This record gives sequence, C-alpha cells and structure tokens, in this order.
Amino acid sequence: MTLNLRTSSAQRNERMAAYLFLLPAALLLIVFSLIPFLSALRLSFTNQPLVPQLLPDGTQRSADFIGFDNYSDLLRVQLVTLEPELGDDGQPQRDDNGDLVYPRARTILRGSDQYEGMSELTQFDLFGTRYLVAASDPTWWRSLFNVFTFVIIVVPVQTSFALALAMLVNQKIRASNFFRTVYFAPVVTSMAIVSVIWFFLYNPDQGFINNFLSIFRIGPFQWLDHPASAMLSIILMSIWQGVGFQMIIFLAGLQEIPENLYEASALDGANAVQQFRFVTLPSLRNTTIFVAISTTILAFKLFVQVDVMTFGRGGPEDATITPILHLVNEGFRGSQRVGYASAIAVVFLLLVLAISLVQRRVLTQKEA
Amino acid sequence: MTTDSALLRAEAAARARSAQTRKTIRSAINYAVMIGLAFFFAFPIVIMLVSSFKPDEQIAGDMRSLYAFIPRNITTENYSCADYDLATSDCSPTPGENPGLFERLPFGRIYFNSVFVTASIVIGGLLVNSMAAFALARLNFPGKKLLLTAVIAMIIIPFEALAVPLLLQVNSFPWIDGSSTWINSYQVQIFPFMADAFSIFLFYQFFIGIPKDFDEAARVDGANIFTIYWRIIVPLSLPVFATVAILQALTHWGSFLWPLMATRGFEFQPLPVAMRVFFGQAPRQWGDIMAFASLATVPVLILFLLFQRWFVQSVASAGVKG
Amino acid sequence: MKVSRVLLGLLLVALFILPMTASAQPAEISVFFHSGRGSERDALDTIITNFNDSQSDYVAVATELPEGSYTDAVNAAALSGDLPCLLDFDGPTLYSFAWRGYLLPIDSYVSDDLKADILPSIIDQGSYNDHLYSLGVFDSGLALWANREMLEAAGVRIPTGLDDVWTLDEFDAALAALKEANPDNFILDLKMNYGEGEWFTYGFAPILQSFGGDLIDRSTYESAEGVLNGEAAVAAMTWLQGLFDKGYATSTPPDDNEFINGNAALSWVGHWEYNRYATELGDNLVLISMPDFGQGAATGMGSWNWGITNQCESPDGAWALLDFMLEPEQMTIMTDANGAVPSRISVLDADERYAEGGPLNIFVQQLQNGVAVPRPQTPAYPVITSEFAKMISEISSGADVQTALDNAVDAIDADISANDGYPSM
Repeated sequence: MTLNLRTSSAQRNERMAAYLFLLPAALLLIVFSLIPFLSALRLSFTNQPLVPQLLPDGTQRSADFIGFDNYSDLLRVQLVTLEPELGDDGQPQRDDNGDLVYPRARTILRGSDQYEGMSELTQFDLFGTRYLVAASDPTWWRSLFNVFTFVIIVVPVQTSFALALAMLVNQKIRASNFFRTVYFAPVVTSMAIVSVIWFFLYNPDQGFINNFLSIFRIGPFQWLDHPASAMLSIILMSIWQGVGFQMIIFLAGLQEIPENLYEASALDGANAVQQFRFVTLPSLRNTTIFVAISTTILAFKLFVQVDVMTFGRGGPEDATITPILHLVNEGFRGSQRVGYASAIAVVFLLLVLAISLVQRRVLTQKEA
Repeated sequence: MTTDSALLRAEAAARARSAQTRKTIRSAINYAVMIGLAFFFAFPIVIMLVSSFKPDEQIAGDMRSLYAFIPRNITTENYSCADYDLATSDCSPTPGENPGLFERLPFGRIYFNSVFVTASIVIGGLLVNSMAAFALARLNFPGKKLLLTAVIAMIIIPFEALAVPLLLQVNSFPWIDGSSTWINSYQVQIFPFMADAFSIFLFYQFFIGIPKDFDEAARVDGANIFTIYWRIIVPLSLPVFATVAILQALTHWGSFLWPLMATRGFEFQPLPVAMRVFFGQAPRQWGDIMAFASLATVPVLILFLLFQRWFVQSVASAGVKG
Repeated sequence: MKVSRVLLGLLLVALFILPMTASAQPAEISVFFHSGRGSERDALDTIITNFNDSQSDYVAVATELPEGSYTDAVNAAALSGDLPCLLDFDGPTLYSFAWRGYLLPIDSYVSDDLKADILPSIIDQGSYNDHLYSLGVFDSGLALWANREMLEAAGVRIPTGLDDVWTLDEFDAALAALKEANPDNFILDLKMNYGEGEWFTYGFAPILQSFGGDLIDRSTYESAEGVLNGEAAVAAMTWLQGLFDKGYATSTPPDDNEFINGNAALSWVGHWEYNRYATELGDNLVLISMPDFGQGAATGMGSWNWGITNQCESPDGAWALLDFMLEPEQMTIMTDANGAVPSRISVLDADERYAEGGPLNIFVQQLQNGVAVPRPQTPAYPVITSEFAKMISEISSGADVQTALDNAVDAIDADISANDGYPSM
C-alpha cells in the first residue's frame, strides 16, 4: 500500500540519500584501494624507485616506461638439461657413491648469454636425465612454494583443530568456560608481539620449548634456525595464535545444531563417531566453508610473524620467504624497486583472486 | 539358586562398577587433554609475564627448568621509571640499574598511538561502513547490484599487496596542518582502513534481515531517511555494531606492515612496530622486551575477560552470518 | 550545517597555526640521529643542549630514530621530502644518499686546520666522488675482548700488540684449547644476537679480507664476482662456519650476556662494549688485536657520521652544529660515553685510554697501521651490506658456503646493473 503512494520525487530523494550514504565509504575505498591498484598496474611497467635520484637542477629523475620487463624478470623460468661431467677417458664421471657428477649450475648459467640474470631454482632427475630449472627471480618462486605449503598445512590442520577444540569446550562439564577462555586468549594478543616471545621460546640452545621437549627425550630441534623446520615453526605459532578464533565460530555452529538430531540418531543406534560423521559435520557445512575460505585468504597474506622472527630475511635459505615479504623487501627495503614490487603486487593479487574464485566454486558446487 | 542370583547380582554390580570406572577414566582423559591444551595455549603468555619481573641476566638461564614459570629474584627494574615526564613520555634512568623499558623508549606515547589509531578506525569505520551498508540493504537506487558485487569482491583483495604503491600515493597528500605529505602521521594510519568491505558486508547481512515494516511505518509518519537510519536501524543493530567493532579492533590493534612503512620513529608508531624495532635494537634485553610484551598484552586480556560474552558472541556471529 | 562549521573551524585553525610556525625565531636546525645505547643517546642530548645554550642564532631540535630501522626511516623521510638539516649515517650508507643527490658537499666549510686534525680514516669515509660529504665524531674499533683468566687457564698465549697477533693456526688452537677447558660453553661470543643492522658486515667482512677476499671488486665497483665468491672468500666463510659446527660459537645466542656471565672467553665485538665489559670484568678484561688469517690482519673501521642535506634551509646552521660537535670538549662527552676512538688526533692524543699502554690503544694502532679496512665506497653499499648479512645468517645456520656467496654476488650484481652501474650525475 505504502509503496504505491510513493511519488517520483520520493524516489529521487531516496536515490540522492543512497548516494550520500554511500559517499564516504565509496570515496575511501576508491582512494585507498582502487587507485592504489591502478597505480600498481601503472608502476609495474616502469622502473620507479622508492626515492628518486635528484638531478643537478634539483628536479627528480622521472621513471622510465620499461614495458613488461618487470614481469619477465619476475616470471621468467627456463629448463636446462645438464650433461654429466666427462672424465679424462671421455666417460661420465661418477662420485664415490657411484652417482653421476654434474657441473655446477652456476657455471652453466654464467657460461652463456641466454641465461643472463638467471639463477638456479632447483634440479631434478627424470628418466635418467638431470634437469636444471633456472629462474630470473628464484626467490619469488620459492615464496610461492612456501606460502602454498603454509596454506596447505594450516587451512586443514587449523580448521580441524578448531573444530576439535570447539567440541571439547562445548561439553557440559565443569570449567569448560575456563578452558574456552584460555584457548581463545592468544587471539587477543597481537602477532608482532607474540612473534618476539616465540622467537625467544624457540631458541635452540636455551629456549623453553627444546628444554621442555627434552623431558620426553624429544629433540633438540633447530626450529627457526634450520631450513627444514623454519616454516613448521612459523606454522605452529600461527596456529597457536589463530585457532581460538575459529574455535569460537565452530562453537557457535555447534550450539545451533538442534539437540533432537542427536537424540534421534542415538535412538537409531548411532555411536559417537557416527553422530559426528552424520549429524555434526553436515550441520556445520556452512561454518566450515566460511572458516576454510577466511583462513585461506589470511594465510596467503602471511607476513608479520615471518618478518619479525627472521628479521625480514625470510631465511634461512629462503625457507620462510613469502610473496608479501618479498614484495616489501624489493619495494621498500634493499634496492627499493617500486616498479618491480608493483609487478609482484599485480601478479599476487590476480593469483589470490583466482584461488578465491576457484575455492568458492568448488565448495559451493558440492552443495548442488 | 541363591548362589546363582547372588552371582548375577555381583556380576551386574561389577559391570556397573566397570562402567563407572570407564566413565571416570574417560572423564580423566578428557580433563587431561583439556589441561594439556590449556598449557599449550597459556605457556608463552605465562612465561612472558613471569620473565618480565626478573633481572635480564637470569631470564634465559631460567628456561632450563621449572623456574621459567616461577618468579624468583623478583624485580621491577624492567618497569622502573623515575621522574616520568608526561610531555615527552620519557623517564630518566634509575642509577645503578639496567635501564628499563620506560627509560629506553617513550612507551606511553607508543601506547597512546596504538589506542588512538585503533579507536579512530573503529569509530569512524562503524559510521562509514554502516551508512554504506544501510544504502545497499534498505534503499533503492540504480547500480545497487553492481556495487554489492564490488564490495564482496573487495573482501578478497589483500591490502598488503597495495601497500607500496599506496605509500607513494599518500606521500603527496596534503593535510590541514599545511604539511604536504601524510607520511609519519596519524591520518595515514587511520583513513586507509576506515572503509572496510568485510564490515560493510556484515552490516549488510544484518540490515537486510530487519523487517521492512519498521522503516515503511516511519516513512508514513514523515521520517526522513537519515532519521530512519539513526533512530530505527542503528538502535536495532547494536549486536552487529559490536561484532564489527571488536573484529576491527582486533585487526588494527595488531596493525604492522602499513605503519612500518608509513611512520618512522616512536612519535607515531604503534605498539607492534615499536616492538619490532625494540627487538632489533642492541643490546637485546629480554627483561625489557618481556615487560613491553606484557604491557601490550595484559590490558587487552583484561578487557577480553571483562567483556568475554560480547567478544565470543561477536566473533561467533561473524561466522554464522558469513 | 554542522559539518560546514567544523570545516570552517579547521580552516581557521590551519590559517592560525601556519604563520606561527613560519615566523619562528631563531632558525631551527632539525637533526635525525640513531638512538643506540642509552649512554650514546644521553651524550648527544647533552651536546645538543650545550649547542643551544652556547649561541642564539640557531636552535637544534633532535629526533631520535631507532637504530634497527634507521635506514628505512631516513629513506621514508627522503621520500616525503622531510629530511632534516643534519643527520647521521651508519658508515657507508651515506654514499647512496650522496649519489642520489640528497647531501650537500661540505668541503667549503672544513678549514685546513680542522681537516688536518681529523683522522684520515674519517676523511676517507666521508669522501665520495671527489667531495667531502660527512664527518664523524668518532671512529670505531673492532677487536677481540678476552677474559684473561679463562685464556690463562686454557694455556693460551695472549698477544700484546699488532706484531704478535695470532695466526690462523694459533687462533684455531686457542679456540680448541678453550673449548676443551669449557666443553659446555660457547667460548666465542660473535654477537650473532645483534641480528640485523650493520653488525654482520662490519664484524665479519674483515675475516673475508684477511683471507684475501672482499665485498666487491674495488677497482671498478661494478661486480662482486670472483671477489665475494672466489676461493679466498669461500675459505674465509668456511672457516667462519666451522666455528659454529665445532660448537665454539652459536648462531642463536639467547641474550647479550655470554661474555660478561663468564660463558664465553672471547667476545668478537667493537669498542662500544668497553664500558660494560670493563665494569663487569675489571682487570680480567684484555683487548686483543685481530688475528692474521693469511693475507694480513684486517679489522673494521668507520662509524656513524654526520651529513647535511639539500633540504636544509640553513646549511650554515647545520655546519655550526656539526662544527660544535667536533669541538674537543663535546667530542669527549660522546667518546667517554661509548668508548669510541675520537676522530680528532688532538683529542685522541690527550685521551689516556688510547695512549700507549692504555686499555684501548690497540684500536688506535689498528687504525694507524693499515689494519683497518674501509667498507666499499659505492652507492650499492646498502644492498651489499644487506646481502652480506643475509649470507652470514645463512652459513651460520649451516647453508652451503659457495651457494650462499654466489647468491649474494648475484643479488649485488643485479642491483648494480639495475642502476646502470650507478653513474654519477
């Protein structure tokens, strides 16, 4: 009824009001998200430095347009077949273990102009042939590998750990409130600050964690100081800090499951495991999707704990470098190549966007 | 016969006892697991607190034993502060002691920076984002669908990736005090984060669930649109305001990358960045670092304990609605 | 309505504040300096106060920036066009600023008398492209602080000067003996806990140089190839890695106290620990010159130094302040606080600690006898030092030495070629 009473002037008023209400947020989003994205796109085709050189006349040297150079410097990869070293007898040389001896990758890569600016990313054997993968920015590929490792471990582990915690504190037992509080407490700490604490606890020689584990005759581990364990150390402390958040979300999901579903399944003779499999999990579908997607987005942005705990190096041996850290190191520290960092930003954004879309697709398709 | 029934009874009793025992054992395991987990989540925080009251030279050595959790040789030298100067947030060092946290950096100022920036983002954000969501959820205008899709797409965009180009951009922004750059200021830490796509989305979800009758009735009574927003929608939506406020506060209390790039020195730096700097500064005195971490963490923990119900409900509703 | 009133108010405030700041008198000299240890910071505060009290033309206003992120902060200031009048640089980072055109040459201010009284190492450090850009109040000293009792207990000979420094074999034997006497300790404190900043390059490049390698080819400054990853460099860094492998040193010291708590017998660190070590160890503290690893002993030199920026409105005032800092009384305030080598020969001669037989005389001998090696004078230095530091951190946790050095060389060469070899303007 009231709808019919609306005049066109009322509609115009409403439209005006809507735009006014949208204006502040729209303006802020345009200035602080859209324009930076567009300027990242523009800068990625230039050699813009962070602090430009001053010319003798006092003006700043302007950046040059360099086409796709930044992108090719970032993404160029080449596969090289390695020939084994030949001995004096013309036969392939073998070391003491009987394995073929190959020349050093760097000798090959520096030996020819076609590999200019490229370094070794990795080597692998396939059908008895040794291949060398060379990249113009091996650190970039390493950072992708690292962040995918992080995501692939953290998302499922943290999600299921959170669910387990939620089920524990959801029990109607004494002190469950207390436990919920303790499990959630790390969430309200800030990452940079607890990173410093964990750095101290991870100390291989005198850290608390190694000392504690030695009681059970486990370890000692090098934690952050070894390429094999550095990323796992980052993962462990990240889960410690973040899992409480997802626990609460799952807890809310659990509490929305109607009690009679459990009662009905119990009458059907379902045991605890079956109840979990056929009642709990299906009821938490949407919650799980939300947790998985939001954890994935967060995980790709991994930066703070790595920056603090490795002094911005992403070491040892690039074992903890991440795309965002690489971007900051290239664009803000060291050689301060803003143009190159912008290319990283653009590629990374597209990647995250693509992954989010695919993930959404896959997770919602199951429903259909 | 009697012996048989006695046997049966004994058997039943035994079965009941063993069921009881099994239950007790299960409950004991249950508690053991929960206590073990509580230890896992609490130990870094407890060690941090306890160590902050120890002399610097003792902290690392105490990690070898249970003393990691036990205060001994309690000292307040890490927290000491003689002649506090409110204006500069400086203390003069206590003679004969290792300089403590407050004597090594203007901690009060840094704390204020964090509180001020976080509060500004949260308060400004509540207004700006709820207004946008109000328009999207409850008003009709051309382009609405498109904008809504844009907002949802923007949730995915990682701000971190845009930080470097944004730095060049804000570098040439003027400000009302006459300066020609935003670098090293409060505004540079506040305005980029006020509008937030996820917050808009949370508000939108809530607003769309409020029955249309409320504002239609008000319109008939002649209320204008602003009045509807301010007098009807906002009061009905306090839970979602709390959710957004708490999520934003948690995020920006830990703000790190952007202030790292856009500020220098302790004049405008927030706690996390100052911690990174302090940590990298020789000599690395763990007593002072632990004091820093404790002071940065404990008040938030206390706030969390006081408003636990709100916290938990807010976080929970973020997930359920999402 | 309300909004417009607020805007009007803000406008009025802005109009009111602007002329106030513009008409301030006397001329303000803004200063950035790194805030290191408390004592250094207090000394600088005192000097600034003395300067402001001593004259009425200028007022110096100092901003301290934390050392760990100092270079980042200065870069951010250069970006936003608010560099101060006068600022200090950690050693060679000034070349990149001079190359980019942000520093004023100060040749015309420095009198011949003053120049003649300044340590040649400081003049070298401040010179780039035939101009003098900076002067420092002090030079540095890097050597081995030793715990006399622990060395004697292990039967290790204690060198007394430059002529009888340890050879590589002797140093290895000394370390082995010390480790045997203290099997549970890391007997060599390498200050790995400093973590970031200039320390790794300052502290460990001398090992490279004493083995016969270097950070970059100094004849062209265009490549590190063959110099930073040549045989000598590999030998040097393999030796350094051995210190960790053999348990002499740790790459992850829990705190800064390994030497003063009696765990470490030797502390490989600079002058700045003098006051703390002397207080804790007393007569037990002895300073030993750097060992000779084969191609002659080498040690670090150069330290924080002051330059005037092109954004300074009164360079004369900035020089007045720098000149004041270089006055003997003011210089002494600083060097007493941090134990550094005063940069004026006249001040140095008057300082008992550095006189012959004084506890810090070794530093002077190292500086005057060519043991001290300047860090490379190139705008590529910021990248050289961060890559070198990264390499040190990697080999200390067990990375392959040749690979780590090759990576550093690649990154340094890539930076130089990305900047077309840093041609001067």
